[in-house]
Amino acid sequence: MALETSVIQNTLTDRFESKVSDFQQIHDILTFEVNSESIVEVMQFLRDDKTLRFNFLTDLCGMHFPDAAVERQLSVVYHMHNWYDNVRIRIKCFLHGEKPEIDTVTGLYLSSNWQERETYDFYGIIFKGHPQLKRILNMDEMVSFPMRKEFPLEDGGRTDKDDRFFGRTTDNC
Amino acid sequence: MSNSSKIITDAPAPEGFSGEGFFATKLDSVVGMARANSLWPLPFATSCCGIEFMATMASHYDVARFGSERMSFSPRQADMLLVMGTIAKKMAPILRQVYEQMAEPRWVISVGACACSGGIFDTYSVLQGIDKIIPVDVYVPGCPPRPEQILDGVMRLQDLVRSESVRRRSSPEYTELLASYNIK
Amino acid sequence: MESNQSDYLPILIQMLLAVGFVVLTIIGSSFLGPKRHSKNKDKTFECGIESVGNARVPFSVKYFLVAILFVLFDVEVIFMYPWAVNFRAMGVEGMMKMGIFMVLLLVGFFYVMKKKGLEWE
Repeated sequence: MALETSVIQNTLTDRFESKVSDFQQIHDILTFEVNSESIVEVMQFLRDDKTLRFNFLTDLCGMHFPDAAVERQLSVVYHMHNWYDNVRIRIKCFLHGEKPEIDTVTGLYLSSNWQERETYDFYGIIFKGHPQLKRILNMDEMVSFPMRKEFPLEDGGRTDKDDRFFGRTTDNC
Repeated sequence: MSNSSKIITDAPAPEGFSGEGFFATKLDSVVGMARANSLWPLPFATSCCGIEFMATMASHYDVARFGSERMSFSPRQADMLLVMGTIAKKMAPILRQVYEQMAEPRWVISVGACACSGGIFDTYSVLQGIDKIIPVDVYVPGCPPRPEQILDGVMRLQDLVRSESVRRRSSPEYTELLASYNIK
Repeated sequence: MESNQSDYLPILIQMLLAVGFVVLTIIGSSFLGPKRHSKNKDKTFECGIESVGNARVPFSVKYFLVAILFVLFDVEVIFMYPWAVNFRAMGVEGMMKMGIFMVLLLVGFFYVMKKKGLEWE
């Protein structure tokens, strides 16, 4: 009595038509895209529907693709898990590169509280309606968002680095 | 009957004038000897170097025979601050506050590569060496340093403490050192 | 052998010297030792972070009540000790007087019971 991916896909498209799109199978997990305005109702439907029953939000994280079009540069990825049928799905919501805003899902899943704070801390994505949207892992005085591609990994204050030991040459640095 | 291959277990006495039943020496030497042989550490252990320090505290390597019998976790009662492990930039103000609240005389040993210079973590979130925020007396390199090396660092600090002047606190170099770190 | 008051003078001097030495060294060292105060150094230690609020918590009055009533009735028992030693010599008259004393204190105890002073919630 497994939950087939075709069942999931059909139920979703019947209910939400154009708000869900681009269904793919990446590494055995059905992946699809949802409009950022309708994420809360889609996730609520996935959680409450009697056939779908995706009761667990595994993870919530961000992505940054600076080479994409500016309306699709930043994105939030949700992984959900159905414990009854052992089925996982992945939802991607693409957001505008300069004003990334999306509704919070803390009303549906309490675990998303800290995960959204981490996504805000590292990508700068604003979650509307979040009870406490502030930095969680980095220091509070930081002004930039470290996981975006334009931010350098290194601190820049080191004077003792010898590039020969790090394999850095003028080509790949 | 002492031959040169015997291990010397007596500590050398400070310079002084000895006579029948008395020994006179400078106050600095006595105070220095007392301070050096009873350094109470404040273990500020954040990472792997803290585990090496736990081994140093245990019976095999025993830092208690150097006088560090009682680990004080309150800065008011500690002599030396042992910073062991990676200090993130979020942790830096806390480390600084702990250092400032220590009662003088106080010394700092930075144990491990991460505390000395950030180690392999050359990244936006790690403080690249604690000497960016507090003055350090002894650096013990290693990733992690073996307990013998930590003990060697403690012994270097003991040499420093033994030779320190009693009036160091009022000297201009000391106030200049603290001012360079913006510590009032 | 007769011992008069002046024989105990050396003990008093020795006690004064001992206590005096302790007090003198504590007060003296606080004057002689070098000190350095600063705003951050004198703050309350809370593992490096800023402390929030007052450390004094108001405590329940029931502890105080139990302690103070204990002291009162303990003092009553202390007053009964001389009677316990000499009760045969004091006879019936002594017993009547002690009885009146205890009845007075019993009235107080009765008052405490009625007012529920010893109720531990």
